[in-house]
Amino acid sequence: MIIEEPVIELAYTYDGTLEGLFSAIFATYANHEQPLDVAPESVFQPRLGQEVRFIETNQEWAQRVARGIISAGKQGSFQAVRKASTSSDPQMGTIVYRFVRKLMKERRYLLNQLSDPVVGELFRLVRAVDNECEKMRQFVRFSHLDNGGWFAVCNPRDNVIPLVMNWFVARFNDQPFAIYDEVHHLAGVYEGRSWYLVSTDHIPAPAYSSEEDLMQEAWRLFYRTLSIDARYNPELRRQHMPVRLWKNLTEMQETLPTALVPARP
Amino acid sequence: MDVLKKLEILADAAKYDVACTSSGVNRGAKAGQLGNALSAGCCHSFTADGRCISLLKVLMTNVCVYDCAYCASRCSNEVPRAAFTPRELADLTISFYRRNYIEGLFLSSGVIKNADYTTELMIQTLQILRQEYRFNGYIHAKGVPGASPELVDQLGRLADRMSVNMELPSQKSLALLCPQKSKHSILSPMRQIRDSMAEDAESRSLARRNTTYLAQKAPRRKQRAFVPAGQSTQMIIGATPESDFQILTLSAALYQQMNLKRVFFSAYLPVNDDARLPQNDAIQLNREHRLYQADWLLRFYKFDVTEIIDQAHPFLETDVDPKANWALNHLDFFPVEVNKASLEELLRVPGIGAKGARMIIKARRTHALGESELRKLGIAYKRARYFITCNGSYGGTGVDFSREGLHAMLAAPIKGGRHGRRADKALPGQLSLFGDEVVGAAKPLLTQKPQPVLVLA
Repeated sequence: MIIEEPVIELAYTYDGTLEGLFSAIFATYANHEQPLDVAPESVFQPRLGQEVRFIETNQEWAQRVARGIISAGKQGSFQAVRKASTSSDPQMGTIVYRFVRKLMKERRYLLNQLSDPVVGELFRLVRAVDNECEKMRQFVRFSHLDNGGWFAVCNPRDNVIPLVMNWFVARFNDQPFAIYDEVHHLAGVYEGRSWYLVSTDHIPAPAYSSEEDLMQEAWRLFYRTLSIDARYNPELRRQHMPVRLWKNLTEMQETLPTALVPARP
Repeated sequence: MDVLKKLEILADAAKYDVACTSSGVNRGAKAGQLGNALSAGCCHSFTADGRCISLLKVLMTNVCVYDCAYCASRCSNEVPRAAFTPRELADLTISFYRRNYIEGLFLSSGVIKNADYTTELMIQTLQILRQEYRFNGYIHAKGVPGASPELVDQLGRLADRMSVNMELPSQKSLALLCPQKSKHSILSPMRQIRDSMAEDAESRSLARRNTTYLAQKAPRRKQRAFVPAGQSTQMIIGATPESDFQILTLSAALYQQMNLKRVFFSAYLPVNDDARLPQNDAIQLNREHRLYQADWLLRFYKFDVTEIIDQAHPFLETDVDPKANWALNHLDFFPVEVNKASLEELLRVPGIGAKGARMIIKARRTHALGESELRKLGIAYKRARYFITCNGSYGGTGVDFSREGLHAMLAAPIKGGRHGRRADKALPGQLSLFGDEVVGAAKPLLTQKPQPVLVLA
């Protein structure tokens, strides 16, 4: 496999959205250029002497790239790209860009080529994002609010809230809830019919229902009780339950207020 | 007594139950019902010993008429006793489930009054959950040995998985340590569950296949499948003198004849002072680990139990895992060519797992695989290299291709690994330098007898 070498040291940046990334990919074709890096503007650090070009998001271009991915590599390729695009990996833009280029060139389903350097990298991102989704399904903890709703705060590494909302909506379809991602400042909100995303920095201090404290205490008690001292193995626990997620886990907090939620009323 | 206190007592009594899996059934969510079930299961937390918490694992009550030697809840122990009412337990389950703490309920129980009465209490709880709260999540229910078949059937229609504890790997040990239970009382509910599952599956498939010319009539009320996630069992390892050979032969027989989904092993942990039980030995966590490895070979690697262990060597090797041990004893089978070998052959290679083997088969359709590709796929090339060729080239040169030579390369004592690091520091029965206490002996938890507290809801 030969990766096409860029002629000049060039980088494309975009606004950080999936549409922005697709627009940047479209622009590489429109401009007949092959940039070395494609990355969100906010996190990109140019290499020495590298020319950086910011690409404005263009919905029409983005649509064409999305359609192109589906027509060349089926829905599966598009889903893989969409998943990979939520990754926090700094190389994400470049990896997706290279994959789309290869896909457009070969115009067939590539995702079985796990050992290919271009596809393999995308596959690595998809797998990491899938794992992060699973972590959210495992470790999101809801609290009951006094208005009858349910609220959870989480801190996933990748921006996976849009990917896990369907799961939570199906499972808890009779309870209105919101999950707030404090890393990406994004909330998934379900009000009983359909769900939507809210991009926000400000979450008002939630008022908890009367039995919430008791239930959290019961859960912590259950958690403590279940451990067998003779089998003590904290490495194994850390492996399955990464420390970075502990601050939003009811059973792992020493005190009730989380980093985000202010003191409870 | 408040629910919190009960939860503490009854979770504490249930913690020695090993099975906490929520796997085996895929059930989509339904509008207006709470919950769903995922075939792979989902672990919601991990305790300080690294075991997963997937289900709310509690006893209905720890009052028990039996006096099994190894059990913390046996009737001759003076421990605080408590019992949930069905309503309390159902409410607690729903409260935890809605907070995404758990995947469902694992309901076991001590035997209160008799097996039927206990089972009826469990059925009541499950009925509240399933019918009143329309709970669609996972429920694992323990079958109580000696319960009447009608009740077991009723319980099985409410639960997703059922299990009847094997307790100990032989009838002789059973007679010694739990004289009130017999092989028959354990195996007959197991058989009943197996037969009902088969019957249920058959009638469902008949209904699906439209085998009659008569007009289809929808049943008035759709009946739940009987134990859709299958049944499991568990046994205690190391309390009695059975060998690994006996244990694995028994579990293979259970998989084949009882169609079990899982056999769980639980390293014996002394909780009682009892003359019939070993007291001074370290917990056999390493042995438990090797047994689970062998169990995985039976379930996912298409091994037969006779390939793993035989009567002449009745215990599993301690310093190499059972799969590596098989490979060392069958060097004529190797090396296999990764680009051509079948799935069965790949599964035999140490360092290639069930997932890795399938990824190799997928990836080699378009690219020939060499060392770097295998590493990228996540294969443990360090171990696999001695047993494979990539496009005809062998990567394990420099090491004598013999049992002794490769044994040294594959030896991976568990002690150096992550498994039970602290618990297994001491050798069995090792004496300490100071004082006469025995190092590493897990002390009985009930040395000071707590005041008896009998509280029944």
